[in-house]
Amino acid sequence: MHDVSQEFFGGVFSDKIEGGRAAAKISIHPQGLVAETLEEQRFEIPFGECQLDKGGASGRMIFCRNTDRSVTLFCEERGFPKALESLSMGAFSGQLRTIQHKQRGHEKTFWFWLTVGSVITVIGGVIGYYALIAATQAAVAALPISIDENIGSVAVKSVDLQARLDAGHAATKLVNDIVNELEPHSALKGLNFRVMVVDEPTVNAFALPGGQIVVYTGLIKKAKSAEQLAGVIAHEMAHATLRHGLKGVGQSLGIIAAIQLVTGDVGGLLALSSQLAQESILTSYSRKSETEADLEGARMLHEAGIDPKNMADFFQMLEKLEGDIPNLLAWISTHPQHADRIARIENYQKQIPQKPYRLLELPWEEVQNQLAK
Amino acid sequence: MEVTIRNAPSFANLLVNLDPGDRIVAEADAMASMSSGIEMTTRWNGGVFRAIARRIFGGESIFVNEFKSTQSGHIVITQPFPGDMACLELKGNTMFLQPGAYIASEPQVTLGLGWAGIRSFISGEGLFRMKVSGYGRVWFGAYGAIFTRQVEGEYIVDTGHLVAYEPTIGIRVGMAGGIFASFFGGEGLITRVNGQGKIYMQSRSFEGLAAWTNAHL
Repeated sequence: MHDVSQEFFGGVFSDKIEGGRAAAKISIHPQGLVAETLEEQRFEIPFGECQLDKGGASGRMIFCRNTDRSVTLFCEERGFPKALESLSMGAFSGQLRTIQHKQRGHEKTFWFWLTVGSVITVIGGVIGYYALIAATQAAVAALPISIDENIGSVAVKSVDLQARLDAGHAATKLVNDIVNELEPHSALKGLNFRVMVVDEPTVNAFALPGGQIVVYTGLIKKAKSAEQLAGVIAHEMAHATLRHGLKGVGQSLGIIAAIQLVTGDVGGLLALSSQLAQESILTSYSRKSETEADLEGARMLHEAGIDPKNMADFFQMLEKLEGDIPNLLAWISTHPQHADRIARIENYQKQIPQKPYRLLELPWEEVQNQLAK
Repeated sequence: MEVTIRNAPSFANLLVNLDPGDRIVAEADAMASMSSGIEMTTRWNGGVFRAIARRIFGGESIFVNEFKSTQSGHIVITQPFPGDMACLELKGNTMFLQPGAYIASEPQVTLGLGWAGIRSFISGEGLFRMKVSGYGRVWFGAYGAIFTRQVEGEYIVDTGHLVAYEPTIGIRVGMAGGIFASFFGGEGLITRVNGQGKIYMQSRSFEGLAAWTNAHL
């Protein structure tokens, strides 16, 4: 008879083998399957007696058992099921189809539950993230203002104030007057606002937690009016009254702790991706606080009777200047996407009731002349 | 080469008596003591990239040490945690070891890294597993005592207790009971092993130790 057998590498389970199992060469003959171990023990299962099953660690191992289950042959090679089907003249088509069907069923169930699990995890993560933010904000709101002041007094030490103008200088007086106009309308009472004007060409201003406000003369010179300067100062005062510094610290600590709690025992790969995710969360948080400060600043201006449009005008002016002297525009570099911000302020103005705005009665020209000297 | 597992099950270690010309491969830093005549060479754990992959994904060392004896001598090989050790004799067959279980092997044994799959990862058994194949003896260790079971059909093991298994064994992740029982009964996810073949389990799990330690901090 013409031999059309084909050989594969696999193994065999049987009580007749020492240790109960051995690696074996499996060949498919016209009559059935034959396994030959390295110790030359031979096992045969005729096609008619062979019960097929699929599984194993890889999920694609084919098992073939005889009727009394005393011998089990197994093989994981890729071509094995196909060779089995063709060389057995179709004796296994039905069985192979059934196990394939069964496996697909398992796969479907697995992927279903994996999807459900992932969705629940993502939803839980999002809810957890917002709960964390809410908890941090509640916790920060409960802390006394003296903590903001302590952070501010530490932070101010890292600011170069060598070129600071004295309290009697017209520019310092001007900024102080603007702060005094806005202070009655601030959302957080009890903050002690202190103004420092630094004689440097940098177009920048910032507020530290606790209410210390630093304005560079470069910014005062670039502003077109006292109202525009008031727009920037309102924005900076809003950072202090909304306690963004403290919230930022609390939130980054909270996020790091939460991520460690969740991924504490997972490998470096996950730690890396969580770090990236964390950084993007923190960046977007700071943008969020910028937006909050814009809206709160606009509200303060409106309450004080100053047109909030002045804030938008200042952004617009800086945007035009940005191309010419990028290095000097430090304020803009930490405050991105001004087009969005201008639109947001204009949108805010549409929502609030109209009221007549006033001009600030301040010696604007005089200060500009003095700074130009 | 004669190898004895001593001080089992709590603090098992291997006493390897080497005849001239004998060699044994061991996990880096596994040697506790040895005769002065034994030469040690360090090599990548199966090629540079595989070694790095094994370190990152398989929890094994980047390097393995090969100990060779030109005269008679002995070497004591140990593992970093308390527990038993066991020996597998490979005759052309393959075995899968969980990350960190491998301790030593005879030089004809091939060490490889196999993809274990998402199922294995979810059930806490790792994304990769160590694959040992070829001819010769392999020694592996466990945290706590080692017990074995000949599986026929399905068997349930809590996550973190599986140490080694044959390739004829499939792994599926499942819940210990209903959703409520699984998460409040402390069992959480379990590993369903199915198929035919031998599995090796450890009587303690690192997760269990970590949880217990955490509760007492």
